[in-house]
Amino acid sequence: MSVHAKALGLAILLACTAVAQQQPSAEAILRRAIELHQSGDIAGAIEQYRAYLKIEPKNVMARSNLGAALSRSGRYEEAIVEYKRALEIEPASLPIRLNLALSYYKSAQISSAAAELSKVVKQQSDNRQAIFLLADCHLRLGENQKVIALLSPLEKGSPNDKALIYLLGTALIRDHQPERGQVLVDRILRDGDSAEARLLVGTTKLNAMDASGALVDLRKAVELDPQLPDVYSYYGLALLTTGDAAAAAKAFGKELESNPNDFVSNLQMGVLDKQDERYEEARAFFEKALRVRPGDAGVRYQLATLDLIGGKLDRACSELERLTRESPQFVEAHVSLATVYYRLKRKDDGDRERAIVQKLNAEAQARQPGAQGK
Amino acid sequence: MKSMNRRRFLAAAAAGWTLRRAWAGTEARPLFEEIPAEASGIRWVHDNAASAEHYLPETMGPGCAFLDYDNDGWMDIYLVNSGPCDFYKPAKPIRNALYRNNRDGTFTDVTEAAGVAGGTFGMGVAAGDYDNDGHPDLFVTAYGRPILYHNNGNGTFTDVSEKAGLGARVFEGHWTTSAVWFDFDNDGRLDLFVCSFVDYGADSHFSCGDNKMGRKFYCIPRVFKPTASLLFHNNGDGTFTEVGRGTDIEKSLGKGLGVVATDINNDGRMDLFVANDTVQNFLYVNRGPDARGRTKWEESALSAEVGFSDDGRARSGMGVDAADFDGDGWQDLFVANVDQEMFSLYRNNKDETFRDIAFKNEVAQATRLLSGWGLRFFDYDNDGAIDLFLANGHPDDMIDNYSQAVKYREPLLLFHHEGGQLRNVSAEAGPVFSKMFPARGMALGDFNNDGRLDVLVGNNGGPPVLLRNNSGAGNHWLGVKLQGTKCNRDALGARLTWSAGGVKRSRLKNGGGSYLSSHDMREVLGIGTAPKIDWLEIQWPQPSGRIERFTNPPLDRYVTITEGKGLG
Repeated sequence: MSVHAKALGLAILLACTAVAQQQPSAEAILRRAIELHQSGDIAGAIEQYRAYLKIEPKNVMARSNLGAALSRSGRYEEAIVEYKRALEIEPASLPIRLNLALSYYKSAQISSAAAELSKVVKQQSDNRQAIFLLADCHLRLGENQKVIALLSPLEKGSPNDKALIYLLGTALIRDHQPERGQVLVDRILRDGDSAEARLLVGTTKLNAMDASGALVDLRKAVELDPQLPDVYSYYGLALLTTGDAAAAAKAFGKELESNPNDFVSNLQMGVLDKQDERYEEARAFFEKALRVRPGDAGVRYQLATLDLIGGKLDRACSELERLTRESPQFVEAHVSLATVYYRLKRKDDGDRERAIVQKLNAEAQARQPGAQGK
Repeated sequence: MKSMNRRRFLAAAAAGWTLRRAWAGTEARPLFEEIPAEASGIRWVHDNAASAEHYLPETMGPGCAFLDYDNDGWMDIYLVNSGPCDFYKPAKPIRNALYRNNRDGTFTDVTEAAGVAGGTFGMGVAAGDYDNDGHPDLFVTAYGRPILYHNNGNGTFTDVSEKAGLGARVFEGHWTTSAVWFDFDNDGRLDLFVCSFVDYGADSHFSCGDNKMGRKFYCIPRVFKPTASLLFHNNGDGTFTEVGRGTDIEKSLGKGLGVVATDINNDGRMDLFVANDTVQNFLYVNRGPDARGRTKWEESALSAEVGFSDDGRARSGMGVDAADFDGDGWQDLFVANVDQEMFSLYRNNKDETFRDIAFKNEVAQATRLLSGWGLRFFDYDNDGAIDLFLANGHPDDMIDNYSQAVKYREPLLLFHHEGGQLRNVSAEAGPVFSKMFPARGMALGDFNNDGRLDVLVGNNGGPPVLLRNNSGAGNHWLGVKLQGTKCNRDALGARLTWSAGGVKRSRLKNGGGSYLSSHDMREVLGIGTAPKIDWLEIQWPQPSGRIERFTNPPLDRYVTITEGKGLG
C-alpha cells in the first residue's frame, strides 16, 4: 500500500473509531442505527439515524454518525451537509471537522478539505494524520510551498518517517528544488528501489526537461506500484512529452480509474480530447479538474476556449476578460480574447488586445538568451 | 536538341526504371514511384555542413525547384546547397545544381555552363520571370548573401544581385529563407517578397549548450531575435526597391520560413501568408494603394485566426500553401508546424477569417508526431479535386535519443480529396511512403510531360528524392502555360475557370508555397473522366484584367495561352 493510501486508510479508521467511541442515548432508534452501522448495513443505519434526528435534531453524535454512514456510501455531498450541521452545534469538535475534511477530499473539493484540515492542524499541531492529509491537499492544489512550510519543521524530528519524506520530497521536486528534494529521495532509496523513489526521481527529471530519462523511472514506478497515487499521471506526462499521446491518454485513464479526481490527468485528458475535437468529453474533464482546483487559470482558460470553439462568445468573453484581469501576463488568454472581440465585431477592443499580445511576446522574446546583446 | 515524343519517352522509361515492377510483386505501379539517381542521373547530394557545434543553418535546407530554364517545354531541376560561410569552410568545393531535362527521364548537370553554382550558404530558390523576357530567372536565398540570377536566354545566367539592388548590403542582418515572386501592385511586373528568419548574429552565434547526451544541439529558434521580412518592388528597369519600410511588413518582426502569395479576399490583389517559427504567422492583406500610391499592407493573422493555435499559442510554422481546397472559389490556407503542434488546414470563411479544419480532414491526426516543411496542394490524379502532399523531417538530428515516438527522419504523406474531405492515402501510395526522410524543400513539376505532376523533395544532408506520379489513369487533363503580355509574363494572379462534364471549377495561379522551393509554372487542370472541356476561361491579372474564353480546348496535352493572343 502506498504512503498516501495508508494515510487515507488511517484517517477513515480514526473516523470510524470516533463513531464507535461515542456513547449513544438509550433511545432504541439510535441504538438500532448504531447496531446496523456497526454490522455494515449502512443503508439501514442511515434510515435509522435520519429517523432519530427527526426527533432529536441537535444530537451531534447521531448527526456525525449519519455523516460517516453517508460518507461510507459514497454520498459525500449529503455527508458534508450533516457534518456541517453537527459543527454548527459543536464547532470545536475536531473529529467531526476531520471527517468533514475527508468528505470534501473524497468529493474532489480539495481546497475546502484543505481549509478544514488547516483548522484542525491549527488546534492540534501534533495531529500527523491531519498534517499529512493537509500536505496531500496542498500538493493536489499545486501549492508546493505550503507543503514545504508545513512539513519542513517536522523533518528533523522524524528523519525516517517515510510518509513525511515522500510528501516533502514531492513538494520540493515539484517546486523545482531538486537539490533539497534529492536528499530526501536518497533517504527513500536507502531502503531499496521503490515506486515512491522512482516517482520522485522521474518527476525531478521531468521538471529538468529530461523527458526520456523521466520515462524510464516512471515506467519502473508503474511496474513497482501501479496503485501509487500520481504515478500514472506523471508517467502520462512523460509519455506526452516524448511524443506518445496515445500511450499518454491510456496512462491518464489508468490514473483516473484509481483516482478520479487527479488534477493532472483530468486536465491532460481534456487537452487531448480537445485536440481530437471531442469537445464534450474535454469539457467534462476540465470541469472535473476545476472542481479539484477551483479558480485554476489554466483550466478556466481551456473551458473558455471550448466556449470560443462552440460559438458561445459572450461566455468566452466574460471568462477571458476575468482571466486577463487576474493574470495580465497570460498571453494565450489575450490572444483568445482578441479573437472573441474580432468575432464580436469589436475591432477596437480586438486591436487593443492584439497590441497587448505583441507587447507581451516582445518582452518574452527580449528575455531569451539568444536575443541578448547586439 | 534531341526530340522525343511521349510514346518513345514512356518506352524508354519502362526499360530503365526497373523499380516500378518490383512494387508489391504485381504489374500495378505505385501512385508515386521513386526514381533512383542511377535512372535520373541526378547524383547531386546536399551537404548540410553538419558539425559538432550544431549551427542552426545546418538543419534548415535545402530548397529545390522545377523550372524550364531553357524554354524547351520540359521541366529542369534546380537544387540548392550550403556553402562557405562564417562557420563553415567546405573541405571540397560544393555547389548548387541545375539539371537539364533530357526529355527521356534523365537529366544532365549543366550547372557550370549555366553559371548558377551559388557560392554562399544557400537555403532556397524562387523562380520567376522578373523582366518579362520569357526566360525564368532565379532568386537563391541564403544564410549570407542571396543571389539573383538573371536568365540570359541562351542557357546561361548572370549574377545581377548588386546591379539589381539586391546586393549583400540590402540583406545585411537577414538570413533569407523562402521567397516568392508576385505582382503586388498589378503593374505587370513581378515583385519579390523574401522571408527573413532569425537574427543569428554576425560574428558569433549563441549556442544552446550541451544536451543530456553531452553534445551541442540545434537551438530552438525561439531563443533568437526575430527580424522583418523584405518586400522589393520591381522598378521595371532590372532593379528593385525595398518598399516594406514603414508598412506592417517591417513592423511585424517574425522568423519567416514559408510564404505563399495568394488572394484571400478575391479583391484582385495578391496577399501574403507567412509561416513563422515560434512566432505567430503573418497574413499580410494587400489593401491596395493609399493616397500617395503606396501599397498598404495590413497584418491581420490574429483577426483572421491563422496566427496562433486554438490554444492561443504561436507555433513553429515552416511550410505553407494556399489553394481553393474545397472548390468554393475562395483560397484556403495550409501551414505545417513541428511535432506535437499538428498542422493546420484553414478553410476560408469568405470574410477574411478562417477556420482550422485539419482534424476533420485527417491532417491533424496524421501530423501529430511530424514536423512539416515542403508541402503542396495539387490534384495529383487529375480527378478535379485538390489533394495534398507533405514532406516531413524533424529539425533535431538527435531527437531519436530523447523521444520514444518522434524521429529525425519522417515519412512523406499523401492525402486524397474524397467526398469533400482529405483522406490519408499514404499507405496505398507506394513504397516510398514507407521510407523515412529528413525532408525539407519540396517542389512540384511534370518532368515527363504526362500531365501528372511529379514531386521533388530536398533532403537535409542527403540526395534529393524524385517521385514520378503514376496516378490518375483514365482521367483527362489539360496543361496550361499562361503567358502574360500586359500582366506579368508568368501570369501569377490569373484565375482559370473551366467547365467539364457539367462541373465548373476554378483555380487561382498563386505564387510560391511549400518551403524554400519553386514549382512548375504551368497549371495542370484535372478533368476527370469527362470526355471534353466545354470551355476554359482565363481572367488575366491586372493591369489588363482581361477575360478570355476558349471553347472545347484540347485534352491531355499542354497548351500555351498568351494574353490577348489566344491559345497556341
